[in-house]
Amino acid sequence: MDSATTVPAQGSWVQEKIFLGMTLKEYLKSLWTPFNIVAAAILAVGLPLIVYRFYAGLGATTNLSQTQPWGLWIGFDMMTGIALAAGGFTIGATVEIFGLEDYHPIERPAILTGFLGYVIAIVGLCADLGKPWNMVGIFSNNGTQSVLFEVAWCVCCYTSVLALEFAVPFFEWLGWQRFYRPLKKILLALTVLSVMFSTMHQSALGSLFIIAPGKLHPLWYSESMFFFFFLSAVIAGISMVIVESAISHKVFASQFEGHHFDADELTLGLGKAGAVVMFAYFFLKLQGVIDNHAIEYIGRGFYGKWWLVEMLGFVLLPSVMYAWAARNRRARVVRVAGVIAVTGIILNRVNISMVAYNWTQPVRYVPSWMEIMVSLALVTVGILAFRWIVNRMPVLHELDQGSPAGH
Amino acid sequence: MFGHDFLAGYSAKLLEYGLAVSYLVLFVAFWRYVQGGTAKAQPELRATPHRERAASSGWFELPSDVALHPGHTWARLLADGSVAVGLDDLGHRMVGPVESFELPAAGVTLAQGEPAVRLHAAGKSVALVSPVDGQVIAYNAAVADSSDGSNEPYGQGWLFKVQPANWKLSRAQLLDGPAAKDWIEEEAKRLVARIAPRAGVELLQDGGVPVHGMAREIDPENWDRVASQFFHTEGA
Repeated sequence: MDSATTVPAQGSWVQEKIFLGMTLKEYLKSLWTPFNIVAAAILAVGLPLIVYRFYAGLGATTNLSQTQPWGLWIGFDMMTGIALAAGGFTIGATVEIFGLEDYHPIERPAILTGFLGYVIAIVGLCADLGKPWNMVGIFSNNGTQSVLFEVAWCVCCYTSVLALEFAVPFFEWLGWQRFYRPLKKILLALTVLSVMFSTMHQSALGSLFIIAPGKLHPLWYSESMFFFFFLSAVIAGISMVIVESAISHKVFASQFEGHHFDADELTLGLGKAGAVVMFAYFFLKLQGVIDNHAIEYIGRGFYGKWWLVEMLGFVLLPSVMYAWAARNRRARVVRVAGVIAVTGIILNRVNISMVAYNWTQPVRYVPSWMEIMVSLALVTVGILAFRWIVNRMPVLHELDQGSPAGH
Repeated sequence: MFGHDFLAGYSAKLLEYGLAVSYLVLFVAFWRYVQGGTAKAQPELRATPHRERAASSGWFELPSDVALHPGHTWARLLADGSVAVGLDDLGHRMVGPVESFELPAAGVTLAQGEPAVRLHAAGKSVALVSPVDGQVIAYNAAVADSSDGSNEPYGQGWLFKVQPANWKLSRAQLLDGPAAKDWIEEEAKRLVARIAPRAGVELLQDGGVPVHGMAREIDPENWDRVASQFFHTEGA
């Protein structure tokens, strides 16, 4: 037996934790993949454009105007990003508050997706604001009459809560038991806070449009928009977790070896929940249209048909698909429905903030190529950050009692 | 007519109520449809959360993400593709307080089932087998120097890490899940039967925690031989 205890075999901390046990040269070589090349190309264009936006201003980089002050960075990065990041509080509440422990294995990836989604939404918001440094004003001004004030405070608080929730696997990765064990114990309290803040600001994002009844098309406008935004955020959270789990299982397959949880079973359960919530959402939206006396707009003109596409193709269809798949135990169909539902949420937020907004204006807003590239770059940063973290930290699985080196 | 006028004036309300009632009726049908359907084909595949399984391990700890070798060593696949190896809970309880571990150095190639580690305790030493084929890339200096790792046999008590030659092949020879749990319970029964032949299995059921160093209870003079039998390293 070849044995010795004198030769230290472990590499440096950086090599172990950051370079996945490889040398810098090996690590850089491993980065040379088609996905990374495309991502690098997007970032090479997108990141300098963010710098250029701050140098040259919003007028030089965007197609925004006095009549259309909110564009892609608000409609997509902020509105959609926040909705799609709702998986954090949805799954958190499912596991920690409602006690459905079966969903525990997908809680951490959902929290990480939520955290990254919020950080990216905030970066997108900073790019969109004329003077983002004035944001600190929310801490000193008492603007309680403003919906934006509520959104700003809630997003701020919730991002902090997500950071604390994410700190559990982060400290576990570093092996700092003194920090992560107390955090793990207060996870329930953090989840309660996350549900509270999410309920407030997800709905407040909808409230932002309540004050613009003349600007938003009657089919999308409703005095209950705050509730529609919250409910659709729950749908987004469930659907996003389904899609994200499916991708994670393919991309990070090796991390699931030896971990005994049935992803198909969890997917079917989420599909069941998604079916019921979307079914209710569909009827409530119809109720909103009737309440707004806008039923005659359905099917009429571009907006009437477009609304039907959104409601039938991206709400009712995935709802029925979820239901059928859950009943017949077809996890793959649930995943396809998840993709359609996520697309539907993106469509809904983009419709409300851009397509159906200012619908009476003769000149329509179309985002500039620079706005699109910046949004694309932010999404790319999010995906790369998710992959970087998942490859190193115990996100897709937990370490047992500070076990060795979770890369 | 008054009734007609009444309805005409509140047509939107009529639609709202109509929709609400339709929704409730349809929702019942939809709910029943979603909840029904084919029963789960394989109940044993039902998702079981990681921490729940770890907690329900019974007499001895057994996290769900480790696979056991019949020589009482465990293997856990890490995110970077390497495998951490350690001595299982029952193994620790069997030998009792360990003075030191003689661990393989980096670069040493190990074969599954072959001796890889030697532990020293109470003036004797016992060999432990490697649960996987592969090349050693690191060892746990903290365990080698001071602690016996028995407090956290599957955590900080890990012994060394290997880059597996073929993880899937090695893994196929190991026990995990319910099979591992059943096996370790059987091993525990076998051990207890040797400590107290008359009490036998009953000792397992009464909830008594086995002493730390059970092999020494069985044969204080030749406990290393007893442990070697359990570790499959007799004569090593």
